[in-house]
Amino acid sequence: MRLGIMSFAHMHAYSYASVIKELPDVELVGVADENQDRGKQAAEQFGTRYFPSFDELLKTDLDGVIITSANRDHRILTEMAAAAGKHVLCEKPIATTLEDAYAMVKVVQETGIKFQMAFPCRFIPSVQRLKALYEEGRLGRLLAIRSTNHGKMPGGFFIDPEAAGGGAVMDHTVHLADLVRWVFQTEVVEVYCEMDRRFHDIPTEDCGLLTLELSNGAFMTIDPSWSRPDSFYTWGDLYMHVVGTAMAAEVDLMRQSMERITLDQPSYQWNFWGANMDYYLVKEFVDSFREDRQPIITAMDGVRALEVAIGAYESARRGQPVKLR
Amino acid sequence: MRVGIVGLGTMGTVHAASYQEIPGCQLAAVADIQQDRRERLAQKYGVRGYATLADMLAEEDLDIVDICLPTHLHRDHVEMAAAAGKHVFCEKPLARSREDGLAMIEACRKAGVTFGVGHVVRFFPEFRRAWEIIQAGELGQVGTVYTFRGGGGFPTAWQDWYAHYHWSGGLTLDLIIHDFDFLRWTLGDVERVYAKGTRGRDYNRLEHVLVSLRFKSGVIGNVEGSWLNLGGFGTKFEFACERGLLTHDSKTAAGFRSYRQKDSGPGGPGVAVPENPLDKNPYTLQLEHFLECLRQGKEPMITGEEALAALDIALAALESIATGKPVVLRGERGVEG
Repeated sequence: MRLGIMSFAHMHAYSYASVIKELPDVELVGVADENQDRGKQAAEQFGTRYFPSFDELLKTDLDGVIITSANRDHRILTEMAAAAGKHVLCEKPIATTLEDAYAMVKVVQETGIKFQMAFPCRFIPSVQRLKALYEEGRLGRLLAIRSTNHGKMPGGFFIDPEAAGGGAVMDHTVHLADLVRWVFQTEVVEVYCEMDRRFHDIPTEDCGLLTLELSNGAFMTIDPSWSRPDSFYTWGDLYMHVVGTAMAAEVDLMRQSMERITLDQPSYQWNFWGANMDYYLVKEFVDSFREDRQPIITAMDGVRALEVAIGAYESARRGQPVKLR
Repeated sequence: MRVGIVGLGTMGTVHAASYQEIPGCQLAAVADIQQDRRERLAQKYGVRGYATLADMLAEEDLDIVDICLPTHLHRDHVEMAAAAGKHVFCEKPLARSREDGLAMIEACRKAGVTFGVGHVVRFFPEFRRAWEIIQAGELGQVGTVYTFRGGGGFPTAWQDWYAHYHWSGGLTLDLIIHDFDFLRWTLGDVERVYAKGTRGRDYNRLEHVLVSLRFKSGVIGNVEGSWLNLGGFGTKFEFACERGLLTHDSKTAAGFRSYRQKDSGPGGPGVAVPENPLDKNPYTLQLEHFLECLRQGKEPMITGEEALAALDIALAALESIATGKPVVLRGERGVEG
């Protein structure tokens, strides 16, 4: 299977490129980037070809592309790829507006391409363990979830409100919104959000707290803040405290790490040894067109997660909870 | 200083032991409606036991009345002790309603007695140290804060009073009011509260609450409380600041840990029981502070007004849980309202 990468604006592109190298019978045919220097450097790093434009990349004999541009450009790049008949793995969030997101759903339906949202957290083995326990009924009914997806301030397009569609809330809400929908087969019905800029001198919000009402009668908070200091011992966290009537459980991705203490600065680091979720994300994408089926994470999943983030901004503006459905 | 304790449940028993360690103070009498409880403690400390506060006040010459009763009984007993001219120490939460809290403050003011409330968390060394570090400003502006408290299961007590919402207010009013007080002490007043809880959604002994706080300073807070079994009682906090993080987790911050081989108490066999043996326990420190304030004629750190401000946050959270709406605190502080 032959893949291309459209833009390295999002740092996950580097991880996906590495994973492509590991996957059997999958080849990274080329990359294109609106930033020529960044694109050329990435092509060299991963031993592949640099294409001076997205069009030229799409004209080559590719099966699919990974879109890791600024969030705002997901729609136009998806439309270009779909027009060229290429399957798409799209970085999250799906888009910066619901209008763009629905346009993407439409173009996927019309062209029949395979389209997968990059919600790699579904492939975390601890998340899959949680889902299995819930489906076996061992967790009982879901009561509440407290969750965090903390990170460091990422810079780049992430702090450009136009290009990213927001700040920390847009960046980090969608992973947990997608996980709760998928694990518990529920929908977010109402969103309340506090948000602000309290850590960094940047144009977007860098912290917040969402409180959600779920259609299954449970409730949830999501802390999506870029509140980890640059010296933090890993990139951030993905954490869920799940409380059911029969069992409580914690998912704590980065705890599958060892502590590494050195003479260098920062002297304390976590060395992660858990499974590489990006490997399984890209494998699912490739498998979907190998097997001629839609991937398990659809464009509508991208829409539903984006609705939560968009609802959060509206709630923060109005100072009231916002009903989604 | 002669102290009489009314209410000999968990907290009354702890206070009775603490008074033995405080010089210049004498546990003079105890009172509890339950005969076996009052007799056990009266015998243990060689004092007289009474069925009611009124009986104790009639017979004993006390300086201080320490009220360790269920929340809904606080008001009547504080008013009675104050009217008798006794200084009053009252367990948290201050009261079940703002009206009761105000009446208690007013009763003590009118009687000219000192009133202190047992928000003991301010005397726990990890919380006190966090307060010091945040006050010193060494981590810069606080951005977000998180606290957790609970996980030890649903509390059982006299007449199952914790299970009666109109008596206890559930864990929002009884348990995480500790964190509301600690956070308000550390970060200042709260502007807005939004909260969700299991009350009304499920069996009321499976209580779990998530609170969203917005402080006047702009800090965004997340307070989690649980009366479910989550591997034993614990506390956590995290202050995320411009210049770093300050975190605590009682599950790891334990100086002593033991593992029972047989089921002989909370936790069950093989479950780690974390402890932090200290030179002075926080309950003794809070009572010592109150007694020292009486000696010096000073206001204690946690006055009725301070406790009322924490109660306001808890009541706002309960209102938000009931209505599904955010509740703005209108600076209702102190007796003047």
